[in-house]
Parts: sequence; C-alpha cells; structure tokens
Amino acid sequence: MNRADQHTQQQIADLVEACMGYWELRGIALESSTEMQLELEQHLQQAVSDGKSLEAVLGPNPAAFAEAWAREMHPRFWRGGARVLHGLVYALSVVSTTALISQLLAHSPSFTFTVLAAYLLTGSGLLALLLQLGGFLSPRISTRAGREALMLAGVVLAVLVLRLARMKVNWSMALLSWNWPMTILLLALAVGLFSLDFWRTSHRERSSSATVSMPPLRSVTMFVASVAVFDVMMFVASVAVFDFCRLALRLV
Amino acid sequence: MDTRSTQLLKGTLDMCLLATIAQRPCYGYEMVQQLAHQGLDLVGEGSIYPLLSRLQLLGYIEGYLVASRDGPKRKYYRLLPTGAKQLEQWQAEWERFAQAVERILKGERSDEQSRPAHPTTDR
Repeated sequence: MNRADQHTQQQIADLVEACMGYWELRGIALESSTEMQLELEQHLQQAVSDGKSLEAVLGPNPAAFAEAWAREMHPRFWRGGARVLHGLVYALSVVSTTALISQLLAHSPSFTFTVLAAYLLTGSGLLALLLQLGGFLSPRISTRAGREALMLAGVVLAVLVLRLARMKVNWSMALLSWNWPMTILLLALAVGLFSLDFWRTSHRERSSSATVSMPPLRSVTMFVASVAVFDVMMFVASVAVFDFCRLALRLV
Repeated sequence: MDTRSTQLLKGTLDMCLLATIAQRPCYGYEMVQQLAHQGLDLVGEGSIYPLLSRLQLLGYIEGYLVASRDGPKRKYYRLLPTGAKQLEQWQAEWERFAQAVERILKGERSDEQSRPAHPTTDR
C-alpha cells in the first residue's frame, strides 16, 4: 500500500468513525449501527478503488448524510444514554481516584474539587467527542493533524474572545469539598457503574454477531490505564498548567 | 447530471432501488453500479442507504449478511412479497404519471403546430 492509499484509508476510517459516533449518540441500536458502518466502509472502499472521491459517496456534507440515515433508523433517545453512562463512569473514576490519591499524598481528610478540575474534565470530554466527530471534516481537511490544528485554533480564538471580553475566572475556586467517606462512596459508585457498563457492553457484543469484541482483561486494563493517565494529567495541570495559563493570559 | 434530472431521480429513487433488487438480490454498491449502467448517476451515492433502510423498515425488502472470502461480511438486500406488490403499484402509478406528462409535452407541440407562434389580441 503506498502513502496516498494509506492517507485515503485513514480518511475513510475517520469518516466511518465519525458516522458511528454520531449514530451512537443519536440512539441507534448497536447491531444496526455496526451493520451501517460495515456497509458504508465497504461502499467507500469500493468507490475509492474505482477512482471516485469520498464526496461522490457522501455528498458535500457527511454529517447531513449521517443524520439522513439515522432518521430512517427510528433512533431512540434513551439508547444515546449509553454513551453518556460511559462518560459518567470515566468522569467518576477520574474524580474519585484523584481525590483518593490527593488525600493519601497530602495526609489530608478532605479533597477540594476546583473550577480547573471541572474545566479539565468537561473540556477533555468535549474534545474527545469533537475529535471523533471531526472525522466529518475529513473530505475537506484530509489529515487528522489538520483537523486538530483547526480545533486548537478554535480554542485559542475562544480564549482571546473571553480575554477581550475581560472575563476573569478564578481557577482555584473550590466547587465542591468532601471527606474520606464521600471519596470511598464515589470510588464504590465508579466501580459499580463501570461493572454495569462493562456487563452491558459485553452482553450486547455477545448478542451482535457483526461486532468484533475486545478481550475483557484488555478492555479493563485500557480503562484503568486511561484513568491513571488522566489522573496524572490532572495533577500536572493543577500544578504546572494552571500557572502557565495564568502567565499566558497575562501576556495576551 | 443536471439539477432537474437529480430532482427527478430523488423522487423515484426508492422505486428504482426496489426494481433493481427485484431483478436479483444485491448490495449497495452493486445497485449504484446498475443504476449508473442504466444512465442514472447519483450525486451522492450514499443517499441510497437511508432509502434502503426505509424500504427495509416498511417490510418491502430484507437485508442479510453474506460471508465473503476476501473480507468482512457483506450486506445484501432481497425483495419481500409486500415489496413486490408495492413495486407493481408504483410501476402502475409511474406509467400513468409518465403518460400524462408525455401527453402534456406532445400536446404543447401539437398546439405549436395548430396555433400561430405569437397570438394577437382581439380589437
């Protein structure tokens, strides 16, 4: 496979991933969305090998195509909640483990959840979603790096606008504060919700013949590793990024 | 393809897809190729999929996965008895419609022949 082929394959993968994420959010059953993904991917592959462009298949607006197909599939709002549950499990795991580690390291009975932590959590969630749905831009902005640069430019522009509007945020302001029992409760809740989400996903994958499932141990390890990485990021952010942002905002 | 043809095809694409599947079970890309072979080029080929889903939910067609030797399973569509009945009805409707349009078009031509090109007003 030459470089141009690899590039097109990446574009197809990004587009299909964006459509899949959108259909999941719109509340289409996993079995149906997996079949839709399969059909779309095969069509795009065959079209490209026949020398057609991605736009020839999806039209000028891939998001509109995904929505048009979703509308015909009788989506259910509550099915989209599965994705919300997944996000909630992740956020809860990060918050409870951060609290646990902070309390252990500082030998303190209490933990303070700051504006910065809330901003990082919601910001990361939104960014992950945008990066996935950013695949819709792949016929126009073909590289992933290009799309990420566009998003970064959007964030920088938003910061500049907020700065020009003289909006001041006290990043270290405490939003919530709690003691050991609450941390343990949150941790238990995170484990419980994770088990529920894990059971639901594996149960659905078993009933869906078209889905290729990840081994259970691997998916648990990946989840724990990603939570650990986020925890480290939260610590680094609370120490270094906070000061850097403050300095950067002063300079702007 | 010009805009008028695109609009005409949009209104009849579900019928064309049903007729294509009625010939033999096929998958999405195959349908696009068959339509193109008949002279109907779609602006967005993917637009067939929402229609196929609609036809499937209406019970006119059925999708089924077929194992492939050199890749993942492929989704084929076949016509169901309800779909065959619906296709007959749509074909009859289309023939009536096309005949009416043809009569109008031919009528305009015969008017041109029987009437002066620039009618004058009564004085």
